[in-house]
Amino acid sequence: MTDLVSLITRHGYGIVVAIVFAEAVGLPVPAALALAVAGAAVAGHVLRAQVFLPLALVGMVAGDTLLFFAGRYTGWTLLGWLCKVSANPESCILRSAESFYKRGKTTLVVAKFVPGVNTMGPPLAGSMKMRFSQFLGFDAMGAALYVLAYFTLGYLGHDFLKAISSGFHAAGRAIEEVLLVGAVAYVIYHLWLLRKNRVYRVVPRVQVQELMERLASEEAGRVLVVDVRSHGYYDAETSRIKGSIRIEPNNLEEELKKLPKEKDIYLYCT
Amino acid sequence: MLREKGFNAFIIVGGLAAWRKAGQPLESVPREDLVKLPTFS
Repeated sequence: MTDLVSLITRHGYGIVVAIVFAEAVGLPVPAALALAVAGAAVAGHVLRAQVFLPLALVGMVAGDTLLFFAGRYTGWTLLGWLCKVSANPESCILRSAESFYKRGKTTLVVAKFVPGVNTMGPPLAGSMKMRFSQFLGFDAMGAALYVLAYFTLGYLGHDFLKAISSGFHAAGRAIEEVLLVGAVAYVIYHLWLLRKNRVYRVVPRVQVQELMERLASEEAGRVLVVDVRSHGYYDAETSRIKGSIRIEPNNLEEELKKLPKEKDIYLYCT
Repeated sequence: MLREKGFNAFIIVGGLAAWRKAGQPLESVPREDLVKLPTFS
C-alpha cells in the first residue's frame, strides 16, 4: 500500500488512470483504493481535481469500451469464457443475458460497485447489441459515480493517507494470513481434483481412429456419439461431430432419459 | 454418472478438436438446438 501511495505521489495522474483502466478491462488491481488515495492527494494539493477527475473518467470508460467491442465482435464467446469460472456455465450465460436484458441500463450504472459484475456489464452490452451511444451514456454515468464516490471518500478523510500508511503493517499481516489460507485451499483443491480424476480414469477412453473404425463397421448402429459441451449452441456457426446428438451436462438426470441403454455412448466436448 | 446408471460410456480422447484434426466429418448445429439469447436490436 505504501508503494501505491509513493507511486501516486511520484507519477501522479498517469498511474491512477492506468490502474483505473486496468480494473475496467478486468485486471485484479485496486482501482477504488487508488481513487481514494488520489482524493487524499488532491486534498493535500499534490494533484488537481479538475485534471484528475476527467482523466480517471476517460480511463474507466475507455476500458469499458474496449470490453464492449470485444463482446460485440466475439458474440457470446467472451461471455462463455467469463462464465467458465461459474459452477454452472450454461445457466450463467442464460441468467446473465436475461437479467441484463431486463435491467441492462441500471446494471451498467451500478455494476462498478459490484465485484465480478463490473467486468461482465460492458461485454454483455456488446454481445447483446446495445447501441453504442446508449451504452456510452449509461456506462459514463456509472463510471462517474464510481470515480466520484471513492475520490470523495479519500478527499474528505484528510488524514486518509496517514491512516492507511499506519494501517499498512496490520494490513500486511492480514494479507499474509489470507495468502496462507489461499495456499492451503489451493493444495486441497488440487488433491480433490487428483482424487476426482482417479475416479474418471474408470471411464474407458477411445482414440478418434478407433471410433471411426467402429463407425465404419457393421457395429455402427450400436454407436451413439454425444456432445456434452457445457456451453449451449448460441452461435449458428457452431459445428459438431456428424451424426452426434447434444445433451446438457448440467441437467444430466433429465437428459439421461433420452439415451438408449442398448447403445454404446461416446462422449466428447471441445 | 452414465456408468453408474448402467450406460456403456466412453470418452473420445481429444474431443471435437481431435476429431476435426483427424479430418473427420462435421455438421452444422441443427436450428432447433440453437439457444436464442435476448438482444437489444
